[in-house]
Amino acid sequence: MSKLAADSQRRQKRFSKVDYSRYGYYFVAPFFIVFLIFQLYPIFFTFRTSLSDAIGWGKINNSVIIGFQNFKMYLDPASPLFNDFWNSFGNTLIIWTANFIPQILMALLLASWFTDSRMQLKFRGGFKMLIFMPNIITAATIAVLFYSIFNYPIAPANSFLQQAGLMNAPFEFFRSVVASRSLISFVQWWMWYGNTMIILIAGIMGISPELYEAALVDGCTSRQTFYFITLPLIKPILLYNLVTSMIGGLQMFDIPHLLTEGNPNKTTNTVARFIYQQAFTGSRNFNYASAASVILFLFIVLASLTLFWLMRDKDAVRELKRRGR
Amino acid sequence: MKKLVALAMALVMMLSVASLALAETPKVKLIVWSFTDELRGMIDKYYVPTHPDVEVEYVLYPTDGSEYRNKLDTVIATAPTGDEAPDVFALEAAFVKYYVNSDITAPLADLGFTDADYANSIPAMVQIGTDSRNGQLKATAWQSTPGAMFYRASLAEKYLGVTTPEEFQEKVKDWDTFMETAEEINEASEGAVKMFNSIGDIWNAYQYNRDAGWVVDGKLNIDPVLYDYLDLTKMAEEEGLYNMGTAWNETWFLGMKSDTTLTYLLPTWGLHYVLKPNCGNYDAATDAKIEGAEGTYGDWRMVDGPVGYSWGGTWLGANAYKAAEADDAKKAVIKEFINFFTLDEDFLYQYAKDSGDFVSNNNVVNKIVAEGGTPNPFLGGQDHYAAFATAANLADGTIMTEYDDAINTLWSDNVTTPYIKGEKDLDTAIADFKAAVAAAFANITVE
Repeated sequence: MSKLAADSQRRQKRFSKVDYSRYGYYFVAPFFIVFLIFQLYPIFFTFRTSLSDAIGWGKINNSVIIGFQNFKMYLDPASPLFNDFWNSFGNTLIIWTANFIPQILMALLLASWFTDSRMQLKFRGGFKMLIFMPNIITAATIAVLFYSIFNYPIAPANSFLQQAGLMNAPFEFFRSVVASRSLISFVQWWMWYGNTMIILIAGIMGISPELYEAALVDGCTSRQTFYFITLPLIKPILLYNLVTSMIGGLQMFDIPHLLTEGNPNKTTNTVARFIYQQAFTGSRNFNYASAASVILFLFIVLASLTLFWLMRDKDAVRELKRRGR
Repeated sequence: MKKLVALAMALVMMLSVASLALAETPKVKLIVWSFTDELRGMIDKYYVPTHPDVEVEYVLYPTDGSEYRNKLDTVIATAPTGDEAPDVFALEAAFVKYYVNSDITAPLADLGFTDADYANSIPAMVQIGTDSRNGQLKATAWQSTPGAMFYRASLAEKYLGVTTPEEFQEKVKDWDTFMETAEEINEASEGAVKMFNSIGDIWNAYQYNRDAGWVVDGKLNIDPVLYDYLDLTKMAEEEGLYNMGTAWNETWFLGMKSDTTLTYLLPTWGLHYVLKPNCGNYDAATDAKIEGAEGTYGDWRMVDGPVGYSWGGTWLGANAYKAAEADDAKKAVIKEFINFFTLDEDFLYQYAKDSGDFVSNNNVVNKIVAEGGTPNPFLGGQDHYAAFATAANLADGTIMTEYDDAINTLWSDNVTTPYIKGEKDLDTAIADFKAAVAAAFANITVE
């Protein structure tokens, strides 16, 4: 065997070893194919539909681009959709805020308890499971459950209130704006605070135990450790929670749709429900629904960027600037 | 050994000849779409044994969350003649008008039906299956779902002194009399017994008092009689003349087994699948009363009520795109499928006898009534078939439009409920309703 042949053989061997990397692409390929077909394409299709005249199933495949006219529906106060859309936008923000503030507070409290080495809580695993449980039950089941509990005039909640002497006559929860919105916020809170708590616990566990030990040696109280060590160090996780919760909250659909159907008087109608109704009920106004989706998308992008900017690590930015200059 | 081989060869040859002979008459494949198991059961039991040359492919999508409609609309919009698309589809009352008022459903005349074929069908079912734009019949039904009024005989006798259904019908012959009776029973029972359970009960029947449907010539039409409806329901709300229930909620079902509600307005299926199973002392396994248990079995009677109406039903229509390009053999199979289930009197008679369902053909209904009908112990021996037979021909199906399902919800959410509960005045409610219709339907003119 000549030297040259031996060399090329060796090179081939080395080559085939390097070639294994292509299997990596094979393994990620299914995700990208599914993503391209079922996510990216629909997103572009939504953008296109928002500029077209696609009203009704018959026009979905042969619609014509008509420009930005559909967006006028949401910008011109005289259009029939203007009030409904912005009203549902306001409802969504109210319901989301009312659920998010208690959710993050409760999750923080529980997360700090579960990770506190001094508290030595028993049955941590069991508690975590119980708290996370509502998140596993499907929204439809929960909606049916709450609907039957708070029904009118004969239902468990009303029977309890009357028998406890708190009320003389049955109360119609789903005709009261405050009660309806509160119930939806409560369900959202109840379903999601476990999830937030798990993420926060993961964030707290990532903090170096040395910091806590040092604090313990220095005689810090639990409260001081929480405010001066835990809270500043899980700020990125809190920001992540805030942004994901806001994105999810603005797309809130299932509970309002199943529990109240937007009633009473459209005060629990959310943006996602508005979009659904435009697209899949009535005359199937796909173009208006898509335009509303695009507006919601832009709003979410802007709101997320604003949050990132507001919550940026100011000290780190200052430090960078100082060094750079 | 040789003999064995020869025998095997002979067998193989015979089998291949036999299989060729079988292959000579290929089965015609018929794709049927529906939203419940009901039709599948009927196909297996009655159609398959009598139609060996047809292979039925049954596709089921539930109606919940409009999944069925979205599937149907998508397949029609993308590949109306494709292998996935149905030849025949079932249509529910909530959306039958949308499909017959469009070019999706084939006119039955194109399949070879003539007017004589459905001359004996119950008029309301034919009217609903007719394209409102041009009067062509496009879908027919095997059932008829007339509504009636059910009332509690013991309560009527105790508080109103009424002993026979004829006397009770006099008490509810129109809506004014109905409300007088409502006040009478409320006073006589000191509020313990109410005339009806939910506002929705009234709506299902009352809408048939209109002269025209929700949309006339592309314009929203608020029939003047609807303002009378609002007066009636507001009065019921303010004077506490009903149980404040909502259809399908706990209060609504409670009224069926306790002495709190005098009447229910329910159609044919409501008697068998809603009222009877919820009367408190009905045993489904033996289809009889549970002796000694508390309940209302046997205490119900039925009358026509203030207005003839229809509620529910399933229609069969053919995919126009597939029918247009089908050959004669395929067309005959599609025609026969619709004919068999909805117009064939022998089948309808047999099916009515087996299932107790109320069918869509007057000849068959009259035949069953003439044979002695179906004395129903749940109704104290009253014959429900005979009673529905008169009610069935009272309903006017022409007021149904393709928009009804959506607009009924908008009407109740924007007008009836907020108005009678005092959350809005009438003008605001009507204005909100008009705005909601304009927002939902880009194709309806609202003035």
